[in-house]
Amino acid sequence: MSTDELRGVAPDDWHDAVAAARAQRFTFFDWLSAVDRTYDEAAPGYDVVLRVLAFPRLDPVVGEEITHFRGLRLTTRVPEGVALASVTDVYAGAAWHERETHEMFGVEFAGFDDGSGLGLRPLLLPDGFEGTPLRKSFVLAARASKQWPGGKEPGEGHDSAKSPSRRRVQAPGVPGPDWGPR
Amino acid sequence: MSVDEPVLLPMPRVGPLGEHAPKPIRVVLNWGRRYSLWVFNFGLACCAIEFIAASMGRHDFIRLGVIPFAPGPRQADLMIVSGTVTDKMAPAIRRLYDQMPEPKYVISFGACSNSGGPYWDSYSVTKGVDQLIPVDVYVPGCPPRPEALLHGIIRLQEQIAGEKLSGRGIADRLGGAGAGHDTGTAARYTAHRTGSAAEVTRERVSRPR
Repeated sequence: MSTDELRGVAPDDWHDAVAAARAQRFTFFDWLSAVDRTYDEAAPGYDVVLRVLAFPRLDPVVGEEITHFRGLRLTTRVPEGVALASVTDVYAGAAWHERETHEMFGVEFAGFDDGSGLGLRPLLLPDGFEGTPLRKSFVLAARASKQWPGGKEPGEGHDSAKSPSRRRVQAPGVPGPDWGPR
Repeated sequence: MSVDEPVLLPMPRVGPLGEHAPKPIRVVLNWGRRYSLWVFNFGLACCAIEFIAASMGRHDFIRLGVIPFAPGPRQADLMIVSGTVTDKMAPAIRRLYDQMPEPKYVISFGACSNSGGPYWDSYSVTKGVDQLIPVDVYVPGCPPRPEALLHGIIRLQEQIAGEKLSGRGIADRLGGAGAGHDTGTAARYTAHRTGSAAEVTRERVSRPR
């Protein structure tokens, strides 16, 4: 079970909420990433999640913990195409994570500054890669172009006795029937 | 000339002795080569652990003449690619393969480096290391047992035993590379150019109309 404190904020309050967390002794930046929630019809977008930690505060005389070790997870739902305020001025270590989130999910970060002046350039993907591969809408084209000899999904192996009427699992990234026969 | 520019060198040759060697000499040369394979382990994932197991006392591939103490690719005869090759890592594999001196051999160890393995549909995994470098022996398994690697090494040694030593033979193995053998087609594997990630990175594929 997670003991993190959870806070959801609006995208406009994102930078202020992160700066407030830092002011509340959450000085250790753990990670920042995103979750694809475009399937949520009420509020489609990408959940940008940031986790920070506060170290225990010790009594200077007896050495007992005054406050315990605490974790905080901040979440905001960013709609498609909207830029989120960058938090690199609060936590400099967030620069790599914002670059990764930008290249993997296509989330824009306004005011990104890692001291190089080069902006949100690719971090992990190889040269010439097109697309944002961790979005659910990113189709794994290898599945469309290559015949796989085994069973890709449960129940569609070589000699499966399962009935063909079994509901086909349509996982994100699997090309649909309009991609042609496979 | 800047440091980055490639230096065009002729295809390395085994020498005039090898070109015109009669069969008994060829047998002796190949015999020496097959039992002195200095190996360079390109370990990328869990298969590398099986490779290490094969090199230790229980399986001990040194008894087959495979010596895992090459200081680097420039002193190695055999490269064993064990693990998941990604498009980002691909240029480094090409670069280190290009640095190995001829004659050089490659064993692809495990399902990932053979074909992409369980990550066959991933956006970042290269679908087989043979897209980058010529592979002599494929060892299947996920991961293969150390015995499978020993078997693969013996298969490679059988291939080496029947090998022709001429520069032409080496060029043919590299897909038509090499100076003096202008085949008209672009050489697939040459040491004169370094590989880039763009060679294996696919364009974004869109839905057919």
